[in-house]
Amino acid sequence: MTDRDDIDMLAAEYVLGTLEPAQRQSVETRRSQEPELDRAISDWEARLSTLNAHYDEVAPSRDLFAGIRARIEGAAQATRQAASQHVPGVVEFAKLKRRLAVWRAGALGAAAIAASLIVVVLSGDLNSPVQNGQFVAVFHRDDTQPAFVMSVDLETREVTIRPVEATVPEGKTYQLWIVTEETGPKPKSLGLLENIANPTTKQLGGFDPAMLRNATFGISLEPEGGSPTGQPTGPAIHGRLISVAQ
Amino acid sequence: MHVAVGMTSTRDLENLLRQSIEGNTDAFEQLYNATSAKLFGIVLRILRNRAESEDALQDIYVRIWQKAGDFEPGRASIITWMATIARNRAIDIVRRQRPEADIEDADIETLISPDSAFDQMAVADEMRQLDHCLNDLEDDRQQIVKMAYLEGWSRAELAERFAQPVGTIKTWLHRSLRQLKECLGT
Repeated sequence: MTDRDDIDMLAAEYVLGTLEPAQRQSVETRRSQEPELDRAISDWEARLSTLNAHYDEVAPSRDLFAGIRARIEGAAQATRQAASQHVPGVVEFAKLKRRLAVWRAGALGAAAIAASLIVVVLSGDLNSPVQNGQFVAVFHRDDTQPAFVMSVDLETREVTIRPVEATVPEGKTYQLWIVTEETGPKPKSLGLLENIANPTTKQLGGFDPAMLRNATFGISLEPEGGSPTGQPTGPAIHGRLISVAQ
Repeated sequence: MHVAVGMTSTRDLENLLRQSIEGNTDAFEQLYNATSAKLFGIVLRILRNRAESEDALQDIYVRIWQKAGDFEPGRASIITWMATIARNRAIDIVRRQRPEADIEDADIETLISPDSAFDQMAVADEMRQLDHCLNDLEDDRQQIVKMAYLEGWSRAELAERFAQPVGTIKTWLHRSLRQLKECLGT
């Protein structure tokens, strides 16, 4: 049996639902880092989803949406607020997410970047080409993971991280990392995001703009005070800045 | 494939989702009204408990709200995308709850009863093709695939039901899935 076949069967059983809880969990984690596994899962979902027609419709209790509304209302307000604020270099997050979905479907597909990772780079306006050396990236994992919008200004070499739906678990802190050709394969810390209620700005004066353009940025969840090892130890979300100028 | 859910077309649903991404909770409520019976049918069939299924359904719609920006129209239809989120959640719950087989024999007949439902609903081409491919499987194999997918049976539960070692069930599943893939040619 080949590796490819193992991955395919793992994906198939994941979609079928017959994996044990620990295996399911492991597949969930792995698919964000393994495009081949992610693709295999999508393929199996497509193959088997026609079985969904066998599910009969059953009406849930009438007042159920009230509970859902209560839970999403706070986030909805934040989204509307973010959409109404025009911050230079930071696009409206909601639109960005949607645009990103299209972008991922069309230009790159799931293969080029890990599926659960969303990174996009745009200038201040969705409809204008990348300009003025300004880039924006979105960090968004699944719904249990935080989402950040990061803007990078290559002229001033400043990076600003703006939390969107991020919460910090007790005793934890977020740490920002960078990987460039200059600094080698190991992530280099850019410091902690100590107060995630507010945007954090970091100076990247020591980096060459050309290197920054191709840098990979990451945010990981670390113990209070930052990573004890100098390398990311917690769950990380990362991605390369990519220009998607039209 | 143009799938109608109730009175609402796929395009209507996509519009509602798009508005939801921008923070429109009323649009999301309409999306809920148009799709919740379908998703609830999935969750209830797997969890088999109404109160628990309603809790799960709420979680599922919160998740759909949060993940709305991830929907890729080119990859799957919106209802398939939503159904996948619902099924995944239900399977996660059921796997954690009943890692051991605990299904009474008396329940089984009512749970399986596949034929009537399967015959009625085989309308779309893709569906007919999958059913055709499923029909090529031996009866037992066909049944375990359907029980696993539609009702969330685990390997262990299937092993008990079919009086086979768990390893045999795994082998059956893998063979069946490979055969299905080959038959579907995708």
